[in-house]
Amino acid sequence: MNSLERITASIKIQHVDRVPVIAQIFAHAAVLAGVSINEYVHSGETLARCQLNALKIYACDAVFSAMDTSVETEAIGSTLHYYENMYPVVAKHVLAPDADWINLTVPDPQKAGRMPEILKALGILRKELGDETLVVGCVVGPFTLAGQLLGLENTLYLAIDHPQRLERLLDFATEVLISFGRAQLKAGAHLPMVFDPAASPAVIPPSFFREFELPRLRRLFQALESGGSACNWLHIAGPAAPILPYYRDAGVDIANFDYCVSMDEANNMLPTICLDGNIKSLSFVEGTPAEIRKESKILLRYFRKRGGFILSSGCEIPPESRPENIAAMVQAVRTTE
Amino acid sequence: MADPKMASLVSAILDGDCDRSLANTKKLIESGVSSENIVVHGLEAAMSTLDAKCTLEQFNLLEIMLAGRAVTAVMKLLYPCGEPTGISKGTIVIATLEGDVHDLGKNILKMVLTGKGYRVVDCGKDCPLSKLIEAIGHEKPIAVGISGLITPVIGQVKQVKGLLAGNKLNNVKVIAGGAALKQSSPEKLNVDFVAESAFDCLHYLEKITEGTE
Repeated sequence: MNSLERITASIKIQHVDRVPVIAQIFAHAAVLAGVSINEYVHSGETLARCQLNALKIYACDAVFSAMDTSVETEAIGSTLHYYENMYPVVAKHVLAPDADWINLTVPDPQKAGRMPEILKALGILRKELGDETLVVGCVVGPFTLAGQLLGLENTLYLAIDHPQRLERLLDFATEVLISFGRAQLKAGAHLPMVFDPAASPAVIPPSFFREFELPRLRRLFQALESGGSACNWLHIAGPAAPILPYYRDAGVDIANFDYCVSMDEANNMLPTICLDGNIKSLSFVEGTPAEIRKESKILLRYFRKRGGFILSSGCEIPPESRPENIAAMVQAVRTTE
Repeated sequence: MADPKMASLVSAILDGDCDRSLANTKKLIESGVSSENIVVHGLEAAMSTLDAKCTLEQFNLLEIMLAGRAVTAVMKLLYPCGEPTGISKGTIVIATLEGDVHDLGKNILKMVLTGKGYRVVDCGKDCPLSKLIEAIGHEKPIAVGISGLITPVIGQVKQVKGLLAGNKLNNVKVIAGGAALKQSSPEKLNVDFVAESAFDCLHYLEKITEGTE
């Protein structure tokens, strides 16, 4: 089996030759190649080169064309602050809470901000890897984008004070993500992962997720599916157990679960959905290969009978992680019985 | 149990209703209740109720934010010229360090601590270490609270105790919290305490002020 076949079989909870392993590496690929994070998040060509280099070193089952969580908001007009060796952050949100928001237009992914660079990277990666290795794009989730456009605190207050305005904003965000996600598929992605940290119960109550986010995620995943996405991958880190029961309704095919969700919780609530997780991200910085191996084995053994599992970290593997720790996780799928 | 006069204020704060909180505060002022009493028996009582409700499993951030917003509005009404004098349980300096603009956790902590009668000096987000140490030197707090959502700030967190020692501020406790930092341990971060939540931080501070930590 190649990587794509292995992951496709895992989504269907079918037999695989070995458990797929996906290291959620974004800017760590830059660190590994000796490139600054600033260059990595500006150049699609650099990003692709670094991801191919990381694939060569770690030999896992996917590569990512993902820069940071500010690509979409910057394309709409937010101002970012860039660092040489950290991810950029929003310096000024494009929307003010009390403004009219009448001029909101969906940006053209071929032209706006760094979106074209993401597309360029996807084109290179797909050309190089074909259908051997999963080529993953990335869009943020609707709630996360709303937070990036308006500021997270303002967005949360909006949900209470003016829920209809929030609904409008989330609808706009969804349109942006559908457009960007579909462009990623056309450019070469097998799928765009939906990365939605602000939808975590660490931030919003599960009832908000159900009322505000779920309908938009459903719409987003349907649109990506009709745009040719290989499957729907939802990534919500943190204590997500209370919202896992909604994933099936959202159309999720791969559900990321973080270290704060137990294997039992994920397995019991999503018995027929492929899971990926859940080694603690910071363990790749602070831990040792022996610790990572041990955690990997526990996960692999737990999910051995059930299948439908991708060994991974619970969230992004931090840029400053120790390469030997990542190698230990990748190695575990090849050595654990 | 809360003072009966304060019951409607406490209820309004817990409902996160700013307008009702302000209206109730005005009524209390008009009936001669002192600002200090309103803080101690109104705001602190509301925060204590919220504290009891918010366990690690049942932590509703939005509920705390809304109550915190009401507390902030009441504090502004009580002390229009700025911070209150004479009733603080102690000063806490808080910040999110350079490169990290995720300040939601820090802001929640500020609301909780303010509501519980602490004086909070907020160094803001994306705060360089030099600015933080300068503020600590100036304010002489009982503790500094650092919130971090991203792992690259860990290097900065590890330096804080050394910098405090270099400035003869060894008695200031260092508390870390936030999604990235709480994955670690006090030993690895070189801090005194890693808080799971804003209330966890509050409990640690209460131990310090009670002299049990």
